[in-house]
Amino acid sequence: MVPLTGTSAEDGHEFRNGLIMAIDEVNARGGVNGRRLAPIFVDTGDQSAEKVVRAARILIAEHGVHAIINGYNIGSQNSEYEVIADAGIIYIHHNTLLQHHDTVASDPQRYFGCFMGDPAEYWYGQGFIKFLSCLRDTKQWKPRNRRIAILSGPKPYSIVIANAMASVSAQFGWEAAPPRVSRSIVGNWRAILDDIRKEDPAVLAFTHFHATDIAKFHLQFMENPLPALLYLQYGALHRKFSEIVGEKGRGAIVGTVIGLPRDELGCRFAEKYIERFGPLSTPEVGCQPYTSLHHYAIAAAIAGGTGGPGQDTQNRRIASALLNLPYRSVAGMIRYHHKWQAAVPYPNATNDPSLGLPHLFYQLRTPGERANLVAPEPFSDSAFELPPWL
Amino acid sequence: MTDPLAGTSADSDALRSIGHALAIWSVESRLVSCNPAYAALFELGPDLRQIGFENSAFFEDAKERGVLIGFSQSSDDICAPCPPNGPCTRLLFSDGTVCLLEQWPLPQAGVVTMLRDVTNAERTQKALAKARDAAAEADQSKSRFLRAANHDLRQPLAALKILIYSCYDAEDAREREEALHAMDVSVSIMEDLLGALLNIGQLDAGKIRPNVQTFQISTVLERLRVQFAHQAHEAGLDLHILPSNVAVISDRVLLERIVSNFVSNALRYTPKGRVVVGCKRYGSRLRVMVIDTGVGIEEEYQEAIFQEFFRIDDSQISSRHSLGLGLNISRRLAQILNHPIHVTSTLGKGTNFSIDLPIGNVLHSSIGEPEINESIGGQFAGLICLLLEDDANLREALTTLLVRWGIVVMQMDVFDDVASSVAALEHAPDIILTDYRLQGKIQGTDVTRDINALLHTSCPTIVMTADTSPELIQSIRDQGFPVMIKPISPPGLRVLMHNLLFEN
Repeated sequence: MVPLTGTSAEDGHEFRNGLIMAIDEVNARGGVNGRRLAPIFVDTGDQSAEKVVRAARILIAEHGVHAIINGYNIGSQNSEYEVIADAGIIYIHHNTLLQHHDTVASDPQRYFGCFMGDPAEYWYGQGFIKFLSCLRDTKQWKPRNRRIAILSGPKPYSIVIANAMASVSAQFGWEAAPPRVSRSIVGNWRAILDDIRKEDPAVLAFTHFHATDIAKFHLQFMENPLPALLYLQYGALHRKFSEIVGEKGRGAIVGTVIGLPRDELGCRFAEKYIERFGPLSTPEVGCQPYTSLHHYAIAAAIAGGTGGPGQDTQNRRIASALLNLPYRSVAGMIRYHHKWQAAVPYPNATNDPSLGLPHLFYQLRTPGERANLVAPEPFSDSAFELPPWL
Repeated sequence: MTDPLAGTSADSDALRSIGHALAIWSVESRLVSCNPAYAALFELGPDLRQIGFENSAFFEDAKERGVLIGFSQSSDDICAPCPPNGPCTRLLFSDGTVCLLEQWPLPQAGVVTMLRDVTNAERTQKALAKARDAAAEADQSKSRFLRAANHDLRQPLAALKILIYSCYDAEDAREREEALHAMDVSVSIMEDLLGALLNIGQLDAGKIRPNVQTFQISTVLERLRVQFAHQAHEAGLDLHILPSNVAVISDRVLLERIVSNFVSNALRYTPKGRVVVGCKRYGSRLRVMVIDTGVGIEEEYQEAIFQEFFRIDDSQISSRHSLGLGLNISRRLAQILNHPIHVTSTLGKGTNFSIDLPIGNVLHSSIGEPEINESIGGQFAGLICLLLEDDANLREALTTLLVRWGIVVMQMDVFDDVASSVAALEHAPDIILTDYRLQGKIQGTDVTRDINALLHTSCPTIVMTADTSPELIQSIRDQGFPVMIKPISPPGLRVLMHNLLFEN
């Protein structure tokens, strides 16, 4: 279930690449207990509930898939869980949604097979405020005041991140006004930016995630930059963003709760991925289904094989193996929280970098340069630099 | 000499078969003979090669063979007489057996010794003593707990009392709201204190386990401000709590108890002037200081004040409401947390109490939420929904679902006087969920229109119906309302609510 058309098509193609690469690797080693894996893709387009539910039905009813593993489909609001729970198969996605916690917790027996291979978007908000506080407390940056302005897009993902930032700000000594929620993505952000300018914030956080929309916002911000630190959601890491904003992207802070650490595993994967899919491919996105497919294959092998629709007992064994077998993937440690069935984030929910998926903070440079990875330790490789407009 | 264990007489047979270990020793203190129980106890072989051994050589042999551990004098009465000439000798065997040695002279010469097995009797006695000590300790702990509870709960209780009066006197809603917020914080402090005091009982029993996390010291400072601001104001004192953004590693609840005891003392012993709470970095540690301009403490008492129930003079009891427990509790908790406490004071000028904590990594901070879910951080968290549903079961099921998403639900189930029902609402709703057919022939769409008219608003509304007639559904849609068919699908409801509330 990948968005091969629509606003997230670029990510969708990377998800497809990541899954194909992982399946080829598993098959090259003999498959899962001797059985080869075969990928089947269905386009989810605009990722609406209707499209995603339809894709799940096609995969289960027409193809009898044993598992659905993909990147994200933001917009279905977990509607597809019902189809998948009825079939009793394994589903690993990277929707990055807090809704997943509640849906699983509402009926763990029914949703036993539903896993989120990355942490919920909520952690973006909390983690960003801690990151800001770290810059302040370690004297890497001296904020002019304590005010944070938060601007959200209309999707639940953006709203949850914005709310999380606002809710924990006071604990860390910041003053956050209630987030502004834009009910639609407008092409012209100047009026909103002028409105925010009146508040004179030391920090501006924009929690919408589509690369193209963020790029437009960023260019308008740079027309008359606020004297504030600027945070953008992970879409700003995309090549598309840097193509649009060019040199003007330098200095912006960008976070992601699932990316590629620059360690031996991460670098080796990135090289292989680019070698196979070309210099314009994005291993930071393709790594998501890549890691989850590998984790699934190991869990299924331990459980004695994969299980198709209706083979609840076998799939429950696989789900149990996924829960109980932490997997050090190329993106970091995938360790599922037993209640949430979602990856535990570091340092937001564990202080041990070997036990959680790192929430990475980058500072953008020019299009030809790799973004600086500025937090958290021990994954960071560069120090924070004051943005050029400050 | 005559050996009573030898021979075939009935007496000899009786002595040999007796359960206690018996041995006959000559006048030269050499082993003459022993009964089977004695041989078994000392693991003498069938050849009884130890016969003829001198007394001390016999016991040394038993030690070398690992049978006997040693001797000791019995200090306790093990319910039986010992030889008249001094205390009983206890023999400790390697298998855990404990025997008391008793001896009697034989009529003609030599002695007969008997080893009485008191293993079980001693164990019972020790167990009884342990139980008695535990009962006494529990009694003392209970008393200490009650005294501590009395002491520590006075602070937030006093704040609560002042706040209640402030609430009565509040002239506008904002002032009342602030007082209610402060009361809420005081109640939560009392809850935390009771929890911590229960832990004190465990502390006495050595069972307390601090929950050490990284957190912002500002959270503790803010709670101290709320807890003591009114009390300081009532006492005419200036309470300054200086902000700090440092992340520290400690137990949030226990640390707050320690510092709140410092502040409480400072307010109690400062007749005029001010009390300042502030923090200062010392390398990798943060010192939290409570400085007052109070009466001060003489140097000779600066250690004694940390003792339980210590008071410099008895006038403190009535004039300061002090039982002398706060600082003792603070020190004990600080010892558990391994946080050094310091005190410096000048009589007549004031006192500085401080505690040193390790500084933590702010990225590792815990925000104090045990569980992350939609009720805390979801997209709908804090929104208000008005639910119009006459079926009690469905109303409760929907309420449960919405509350799980963090929504505040207001219910309405009387529809014949909408104006009164709307007047009784605590807040204006952000969204309305209504059944289409309410009591009688009342329609949810009509009630919604009345509510909007009364509130001068146009609240986003979802109409729910079990009637799947296409004509009915179309007629509701024609009136501008989105429709959901019962049974309500949670994902479907979530999508619809999101679109109505956040997207054009």
